[in-house]
Amino acid sequence: MSAKPGKILMDNLWFNNPVLIQVLGICSTLAVTNNVRNTLVMTVGVSLATAFSGWTLSLMKDLIPRKVRMIVQVLVISFYVILIDILLRAYLPEASRQLGPYVGLIITNCIIMGRAEAFAAANRPLISFWDGLTSGLGYMAVLVAIALVREILGFGSVLGFRLMPEGFVPWTIMITAPSAFFLVAMVMWLARNLQARREAAAKAAKAAPKPAAGPSPAKA
Amino acid sequence: MKKKFDRENIAYVVIFSFVTCAVFVAGLAAANEATAPKVRANREFANQAAVLDALGIGYSGPAEAASLYASAVRPIEGASPRAYVAERPDGRHYAVEVTGAGLWGAITIVAAAGESLERLDGIQIIAQNETPGLGGRIDEPWFKEQFRGERVAGGRIRISAGAEAGGSGANDPDDGLVDGVSGATRTSQAMELILAKAIARLAEVAGGGK
Repeated sequence: MSAKPGKILMDNLWFNNPVLIQVLGICSTLAVTNNVRNTLVMTVGVSLATAFSGWTLSLMKDLIPRKVRMIVQVLVISFYVILIDILLRAYLPEASRQLGPYVGLIITNCIIMGRAEAFAAANRPLISFWDGLTSGLGYMAVLVAIALVREILGFGSVLGFRLMPEGFVPWTIMITAPSAFFLVAMVMWLARNLQARREAAAKAAKAAPKPAAGPSPAKA
Repeated sequence: MKKKFDRENIAYVVIFSFVTCAVFVAGLAAANEATAPKVRANREFANQAAVLDALGIGYSGPAEAASLYASAVRPIEGASPRAYVAERPDGRHYAVEVTGAGLWGAITIVAAAGESLERLDGIQIIAQNETPGLGGRIDEPWFKEQFRGERVAGGRIRISAGAEAGGSGANDPDDGLVDGVSGATRTSQAMELILAKAIARLAEVAGGGK
């Protein structure tokens, strides 16, 4: 049941990306991606929360009764998220003020509970930590890509540095949630197309009846 | 063969849940307690910095802000919401904290003016939850800088809707008129009301009220 760290990394970043393939964590994808800085803080928070809650739950897995399994998962996840919130408030007060309620909302991010249930419940602590961290990185990669487009077109800047020329008129729609809907859709379309093409190429190269290696559910 | 430990036993489930909750909650309580002084200091600094900004007193870091605040600004005892008085070379200046309704939530600002209330010294925004990129732009320097030395005409400063061009703001300090944020008319209107409230409050405090 144990998988190789390298394969987990590739799966979580690309072939089984939590946002693109599993379509998890979409709510925060819409909410926080209108500027890169908030997106980075939020996704680092999600990565750490997923990694540490995976590690803790994996350590505890032989002690947790099945009846209260999910309650314990939520408890451990909220523990780490509240801890992140406390640390942000103490050491990064500016970011904490700007993120406001979003940090607390990390608790509801489906990716964290998804990994706790699907991976940490059946694997060893260290590899669960790695799985959580890389899932968070997969989430981060997609969100930062979207945030880059939204901030450049919506504010004309990246991380507060002005990129666009003086006369540039910001696209107001890029700042509001609807733009995230179509940007997410476009990124998904691109990713699934690339994966499907790769799969088809692998199949053709082998010319064997066996299916290609990628576990991607994408259709050709 | 050793009998497998029964994890579904009701007594075990109850004790396990209780102990787990207690351990994790204790951890959070400890973290909260340990960072409480730091959080309080952050909040204190944010407040002092806002008052100094509104009064137009420049500072370069937390340490300098704290010493400038201690030497120049005095909170008015018993004033609620908070109000401050500062002795400047050109006379007495006042700063007040005012909260009003924005589009999504409350907006809290600090506004400061000299005793005559002829012109504002400036404003600073302490808290707001307006739409990021639209109403949220009231927190951008170009918007706040418009109030620096702006004349108070008839107890208010007007904010013109849809006038802003490319984030430069109005630069005539004598007309009692500043630019609102394009695309955020409701927030701009809310700011106009909050400023009127702040100016009334400044008059009250300058007249010796609490």
